[in-house]
Amino acid sequence: MNKVKQISEAIVQLKWDEIAALTNEALEAEVPALEILNQGLVPGMSVVGTKFRNGEIFLPEVLLSARTMKTALEILTPILSQQDTPSMGRVAIGTVKGDIHDIGKNIVVSMLEGNGFEVMDLGIDVDTERFVEVVRDNNLQILGLSALLTSTMPMIEETIKALEKAGLGQKVQVIVGGAPVTQAYADQIGADGYGADAVAAVEKARDLIAT
Amino acid sequence: MTSYHIDFEPVGRRGKCPADKCLLDCAHQLGVGILSMCGGHGTCHSCKVQVLSGTVSEPTPHEQEALSPQELKNGWRLACQTYPTSDCKLSVPPQSMTTPQRIQVEGLEVTVAPDPPVRAYQLQLPVSSLSDPRADSERLLETLEQQHQVHCSIIDIDVLRNLSPQLRSWNWQAQASVRDNEVVALSPWSSHKLGLAIDLGTTKIAGYLVDLENGQTFAAKGIMNPQVSYGEDIISRITSATKSPVEAAQIQQLTVTAINQLGVDLCGEVNAKPEEIVEAVVVGNTAMHHLLLRLPVEQLGLSPYVPAIREALDIKARDIGLHIASGAYVHLLPIVAGFVGADHVAMLLATEAWQAEGLTVAIDIGTNTEVSLVSDGKVTSVSCASGPAFEGGHIKCGMRAASGAIERLLLVDDQVEYQTVDGTPPVGLCGSGILDAMAQLYLAGVIDKDGRMKDNHPRMRTRQKQLEFVLVSKDEQDGHPAIVITQQDIRELQLAKAAIRTGIQVLLETNGCSEEEIKQVIIAGAFGSYINVSSAVTIGMLPSLALDCFRQVGNAAGMGAKLALVSRSKRAEAQTVARQVGYIELATAPNFMQTFVQATHIGRYNRGG
Repeated sequence: MNKVKQISEAIVQLKWDEIAALTNEALEAEVPALEILNQGLVPGMSVVGTKFRNGEIFLPEVLLSARTMKTALEILTPILSQQDTPSMGRVAIGTVKGDIHDIGKNIVVSMLEGNGFEVMDLGIDVDTERFVEVVRDNNLQILGLSALLTSTMPMIEETIKALEKAGLGQKVQVIVGGAPVTQAYADQIGADGYGADAVAAVEKARDLIAT
Repeated sequence: MTSYHIDFEPVGRRGKCPADKCLLDCAHQLGVGILSMCGGHGTCHSCKVQVLSGTVSEPTPHEQEALSPQELKNGWRLACQTYPTSDCKLSVPPQSMTTPQRIQVEGLEVTVAPDPPVRAYQLQLPVSSLSDPRADSERLLETLEQQHQVHCSIIDIDVLRNLSPQLRSWNWQAQASVRDNEVVALSPWSSHKLGLAIDLGTTKIAGYLVDLENGQTFAAKGIMNPQVSYGEDIISRITSATKSPVEAAQIQQLTVTAINQLGVDLCGEVNAKPEEIVEAVVVGNTAMHHLLLRLPVEQLGLSPYVPAIREALDIKARDIGLHIASGAYVHLLPIVAGFVGADHVAMLLATEAWQAEGLTVAIDIGTNTEVSLVSDGKVTSVSCASGPAFEGGHIKCGMRAASGAIERLLLVDDQVEYQTVDGTPPVGLCGSGILDAMAQLYLAGVIDKDGRMKDNHPRMRTRQKQLEFVLVSKDEQDGHPAIVITQQDIRELQLAKAAIRTGIQVLLETNGCSEEEIKQVIIAGAFGSYINVSSAVTIGMLPSLALDCFRQVGNAAGMGAKLALVSRSKRAEAQTVARQVGYIELATAPNFMQTFVQATHIGRYNRGG
């Protein structure tokens, strides 16, 4: 099996303790860093995503795969940045005002980082003004908004409205998610994307940046 | 505004509804109990109805997702998504109705020396005459003083309104019910001295009619909480009530009407009248408590989730529309926090868990699960969002504990042995059956500790690209749809059991204790009483302890309400309990996420990887 394929397998098999060695071996064998990323890590994560989607694996495995991915990226990033390879994208994410639940959001953060995004985690109970400020002051492609409760879900809409009011509606694409949130709700409030789960959120982020 | 005539069958309720109301709102307006677990967001698919005649709005994306083209063609719709466009006749299938279900009212009996807040005295009043022209109120108060050495200074206004004619028609003999220094009721000689204890749960309401003098329970009954039609969980109810004052008023009205009917039914069993009830106690979670009292609930749904009031309350029953003796009071037990309510206080009171000697866990499992840990006299509580899975929600063949629900289940070789509620043919799985199924599949190696199903059993099959285990096949039940547990069900259950276990684990860690040190686990509530504890231990939902460490105590909140009804010292004790119980906000506890993710594993909880 070639080195890149081995790396892909290591992600799927959650070999977080072997990935660093495998990545270094591949680099020593002069496999380009970009190839390791695009032919090894990314396809591996895509398999993980599919397995999660059909129920084959669950949260602990998904988080472990993200950790495995991150370990490899930590080795590759310095090389990639020398070569002037841009990151996958810059994302800010937070749980909306009134809501302090963040397990789902944290999983999305791990998955985004595992997939090579630069992530600003704004935490929980985030004021709409803070979201606006962060979008204004940073060069972001994606803003992620999360709510776990039906009682706090309206704050997602409030935040999107606040962005528009501040003239920042076009500056960033908004992805929404959380237990009570649905695609229909996302459409209704004018969000750019909806992530039914962490895997879907990452895919959506990638799609939105690509278009 | 145009309105249409809507006819709900087979319940036979019909009436005019405005065209801008969805069918679910029409049903609520007409008092038809249609389930709405998600609170009308189109996501839970529990409000399925069939349009028999008339025209309605086009199907929404939610409906296209929930219903097959065939179903849509046959007029099946989601009531919350559909608006009438002409007069309509609808059929509501039983599974969409908030029908009567098995509701537990029994609990351990705790005896307490009655020390009721209301006492009744038999009075023989002097007849009014020209030589004794005292006002009737003075006559009453002075007779109480003379004949019973009871000093009163207040007579309830409604008692006063009826006082003069009643004394005369009863020939100057009467029974006065006295609370502190107030006459709260006047009745004929030797009337009943009744109290009403209510456990107002999110899903169920349990009522107890009690003799205030000796503490004996005359009658007990449980009904569904009609608020279910405003959403299955507390947050949906809060969201509904926050929408408009009208909606909040409707929710309150619906609840109090149900309690009043419960009171009538209970009194009917002992040939009494609701007006003979001279004191009531209500316990419930914080949201139920606030909704009943029309206290604001919006802040309960937003961080930091604070209640409007924590202290116990005594208010006139008539102020909330409760039909008992008009001057009587209703006492509401104190609250711990936004998500640990008076029902938990009542449970700690009834089980005496709060003063337990060894390390004790007291848990009430529901859509919201409250857990207290008692360690060296210190009580700490959490609330876990365990979700509806153990009430059958979000589970493919899940249902509540109604007739035909599989409540116990055992895998013997390739056969599934089961027992259903009422012994009728199986139609689905209720919480205890779901729990057994998960434990049995784990023990049989059909699911591994990560929750992954394996295609290694003759009863496994793949449907819609998903593995599922057939508990009862189509052939095994005369062609009715098979009852299965799917991979997705297992994932839902993992989340539910992890939420509960995380609550226990965070309490243990906060108090520097470990699982092995636990001396007893008290399990309260309907679901908790019916579960097979060993199944809960097998999957790691409850601590891994010898089975004799567990006590299933039934509806302990109801028992606590009864104690507070007949004993003033227990009321005082409840105040002490509520003040003493600390509260931890689970989501902000250190290591919450790690603990939760770890707790999703099936089997004995293990801190490490």
